[in-house]
Amino acid sequence: MSLVTVVWSMIAAACLTLAAVHLPVWWRNREARATLAFSLAAICTAALAMCELAMLKASTPAAYAEAQRWMNLPVALLLLALAGFAHHYLDAGLRWLAITAISLRLLSLVINFAVGESGNFLHTVSLHAVPLLGEQVSMAVGVRNPWRVIGQFAVFLLMLYFIAASVRAWRRSRRVAAVLVGGSLTFFMVASLARAFVVSWWGGEVPSTVSLFALGVVAVMGYALSADLLRAKQLVVELSEREREADLAADAASLGTWTSDIVRGTLQPSKKLRELFGFASDDRLDAEQLAQRVHVDDRAAFRDRLSQAARRRGEYQSEFRLVLPDGQLRWITALGRVDFDAKGKPLRSRGACIDITARKAAEQEMLRLRQDIAHVGRVSVMGQISAALAHEINQPLGAILRNAEAAALFMQHESPDLQEISAILEDIRKDDQRASAVIDRIRALLRHGEVAMTTLNVRSVLGDVATLLWPDAAARHVALELTVPGDIPAVRGDQVQVQQVLLNLILNGMDSLEGVSDRPRSVTVTARCEGPASVEISVTDSGRGIDARYVGRLFEPFFTTKAKGIGMGLSISRGIIEAHGGRLWAENQAVGATFRFTLPVAS
Amino acid sequence: MVESIVHVVDDDESFLMAMSRLLRASGFAARTYSSAREFLGERCADKPGCVVVDLRMPDLGGLDLQAALGHTPYPLPVLFLTGHADTASTVRAMRGGAEDFLEKTAAKEVLLEAVRRALARDQQEREERSHRDELRARFAAISAREREVLCHVLRGRLNKQIAGDLGIHERTVKVHRKSIMTKLSVRSVAALAQLSQEAGLPAYS
Repeated sequence: MSLVTVVWSMIAAACLTLAAVHLPVWWRNREARATLAFSLAAICTAALAMCELAMLKASTPAAYAEAQRWMNLPVALLLLALAGFAHHYLDAGLRWLAITAISLRLLSLVINFAVGESGNFLHTVSLHAVPLLGEQVSMAVGVRNPWRVIGQFAVFLLMLYFIAASVRAWRRSRRVAAVLVGGSLTFFMVASLARAFVVSWWGGEVPSTVSLFALGVVAVMGYALSADLLRAKQLVVELSEREREADLAADAASLGTWTSDIVRGTLQPSKKLRELFGFASDDRLDAEQLAQRVHVDDRAAFRDRLSQAARRRGEYQSEFRLVLPDGQLRWITALGRVDFDAKGKPLRSRGACIDITARKAAEQEMLRLRQDIAHVGRVSVMGQISAALAHEINQPLGAILRNAEAAALFMQHESPDLQEISAILEDIRKDDQRASAVIDRIRALLRHGEVAMTTLNVRSVLGDVATLLWPDAAARHVALELTVPGDIPAVRGDQVQVQQVLLNLILNGMDSLEGVSDRPRSVTVTARCEGPASVEISVTDSGRGIDARYVGRLFEPFFTTKAKGIGMGLSISRGIIEAHGGRLWAENQAVGATFRFTLPVAS
Repeated sequence: MVESIVHVVDDDESFLMAMSRLLRASGFAARTYSSAREFLGERCADKPGCVVVDLRMPDLGGLDLQAALGHTPYPLPVLFLTGHADTASTVRAMRGGAEDFLEKTAAKEVLLEAVRRALARDQQEREERSHRDELRARFAAISAREREVLCHVLRGRLNKQIAGDLGIHERTVKVHRKSIMTKLSVRSVAALAQLSQEAGLPAYS
């Protein structure tokens, strides 16, 4: 058997083998279009090799022409496959260039079957014998098809396309792919064009060896794909390594993780997640079962977050309580993300849960302590003004007593003045209400409970405190003045706490007037708008001012300059105001000091 | 006799009203004032009465009112009322010569008794004052020389000694003595001594 027959047959066999390996790969992963293009190129090369072998071994001009005509079909398809490979593998741009080239080549294929004997010859006159691999093979001589220039131009365009693709891949740092794949594709085109020029324009006698070049290109492409497969395998190994690390980290951090396939509605919870939600390790779980464990009060919010994340936002964070089968309550914070496909449809969600029961307990304990301290602070403030309070409550009680005694005396008259007596009774009723209003105010201040944020009318809050302190101010000869502009907006806060802060600041102001006699003794409370979003309330006294040595320590707990103070007033006040989202600070004036704080305007 | 008036000063309108009703029902004449300034503006101190005033009031408090009254020639007795009596203000008020210091919720009997006592004291002070005024008018009629003689007489000196001291004749001293006795309408030296003391004039003591 001749060597040419052996080599060409082996080319065909090798290419078919490669196609047989890669075609199933594509079948299982339809996204791998480059693999499909490669398989197609390998099959075309096999077909091309067989047609070319028939040409080389042709004994008559007619047989040669027949083989050449059919060879143009796999050649055209091969070029199509190569263009496809370049497009998918090298991620080349210039699609229009590839489409133009392939269209021209397909046009030339039509001409191949329609005009003359083939795309190459209108009429084959005779066969020449030329040497190849130490034997004589056939080569035709005849009238060339003038339309062949279209096919050659298509190859030229493809060459430009491959060059462009190589440059692009190079610029994207895919250097090996650019040189190997791009380079071999380009070289294949250059070689084809060179042979076409030599044979069909200069009349050179070179036998057809397209298959050899095509094999080279297919081999390079195959190598590139296999290298990718190897790399993918390595990535899988690395990925599973990472996953194990992530699992380890999640375990160490007591994180329960899950992945949920939204399309299929399946859920893959980690072991820790099952533990957190109180499920056994072999229970089948879905999202609904998880939701059922969430505390009834939190469930709606929990579902809302999930569906919101699925609809648009992608990421979500949520805090909720779980009720475990044994009735135990567990606080969980969950962090998750929803992945979307290219069309914006939710694909899957992933996330992690962590048990924050201990933290929550600490937070609540802290809150309780803070409320206790605030309560103690209020009680001590009330102690300071208790004399004033007794005075204020005895005022209406005294009036009631005197009225009742007067009425009793009037009744002893022979003809009692009933009008007078009914006026007395009406006054007694009013004073009784006045007394109970005082008691209500005190009780509200001493209330020991949770913070109730409401919309507060600045004027009435300030007015209540002023009313409470006014007797004390009078007894200490302090003019307590209130300035509230008419257009002051309502603020958001806890009435009791805000009043406590005001009480503190005003009492401090009055304390600072101790021993001041050379100037008016005054404490002025002023409210004003500070920008559109907050109201500033200031308490200014005409007292001693703040000793420069203490300015920095004023708000420290247990810091006091008073003989009987516990040093918590300003510290608690600042805590309260900051919890309200405001600021509390102090500044010295030319005479006396000003304490200012801000509160957010109620929306 | 002019009727005594109880002046009630309190910024708490309701208490003011109740207090005046009780006083009227108990047979007192009462007048009310809603501030210390209003009361001081009325200048009622020349008529008999007493003041019942709230210790704590804005602007001028009870203690200020008491101090202002102290500067007038005929101060009315002041009775303090307060919602709540703390030690410091009680001490200050009593030191200022307060007639009494009561809580507003004090029993009626205690309160009315205090008012009666204050009015009685005012009455007594007024009588003492008018008696003293009369004495002073009598002493005012005595001439400068007679006053010198009187001084010596009250020291228990004899006519002869006085004449020697003043460098005048003994008979002249006798004339002066007779004139003094007539002007002050007393008969004995003992009565003269007592009268001088009652007049409260330091020069004669």
